[in-house]
Amino acid sequence: MSDLLSSAKHAAMSGMQAQADRLRHTSENIANADTPGYRRKIVSFEQVVEGGRSTGLVEAGDVRLDRTDLPKVFDPSHPMSDETGYYDGSNVDLIIEIADAREAQRSYEANLKMFGQAREMTRNLYDLLKR
Amino acid sequence: MFENLKIFSMASALAQHGATRQTVVAENIANADTPGYRARDVASFADSYASRPTTGLQATRPGHRFDGEASYSAAPREIFRPGAESPNGNNVSIENEIFAAAEASSDHRKALAVYRSALTVLRTSISGQS
Repeated sequence: MSDLLSSAKHAAMSGMQAQADRLRHTSENIANADTPGYRRKIVSFEQVVEGGRSTGLVEAGDVRLDRTDLPKVFDPSHPMSDETGYYDGSNVDLIIEIADAREAQRSYEANLKMFGQAREMTRNLYDLLKR
Repeated sequence: MFENLKIFSMASALAQHGATRQTVVAENIANADTPGYRARDVASFADSYASRPTTGLQATRPGHRFDGEASYSAAPREIFRPGAESPNGNNVSIENEIFAAAEASSDHRKALAVYRSALTVLRTSISGQS
């Protein structure tokens, strides 16, 4: 029985880890929003499969780069601009990143709540041993 | 402990039900953003706690009851939840999961309360003090 609850805690923990990973990539994107030539990083979540069976855990998959075209920014005074006065900006959209960060935070909190609840259930179980 | 007393085995099965459900809910929430993940749930306690009649005993009167061994078995299965489907094929709804988690937790607490109270009754009857 306690085994069940510990796998509940493991699942919640894997969820928190995956969401934290996602939040890290989001903040990297935001930090690099003005870096010329930067492509935003995106992660997708995957189920952890062991021996062909899904374990119920989740992990952040490989990082991919957003292949949207980089915007051309006109600024002849910029050190990286070419002879026509344009340089490649980054394809980070702050609105999307903020929304993504919010969603990651909300999911993280939900996982944390599940962790706390599983812990409380374990504690109640152990309380049975008390007189 | 005391598995042969029915109230204990039933309380323990209910606690197991709560714990199983909590695990399934935690997995659903962990996978709330996984593309293609289908939410799962376990059947209600009434459906998964089955009492099998004992075999080999003859009843001579209809009032005789042989409540056989009851066993709890729950297999998580995918659930169909219309409306919660997102474009990437994931149908986890955080709101529903939180609700299920609250139910699981209250089932678990209920089971432990029953267990504890039965234990108190047992202890009182053994010690002979009130």
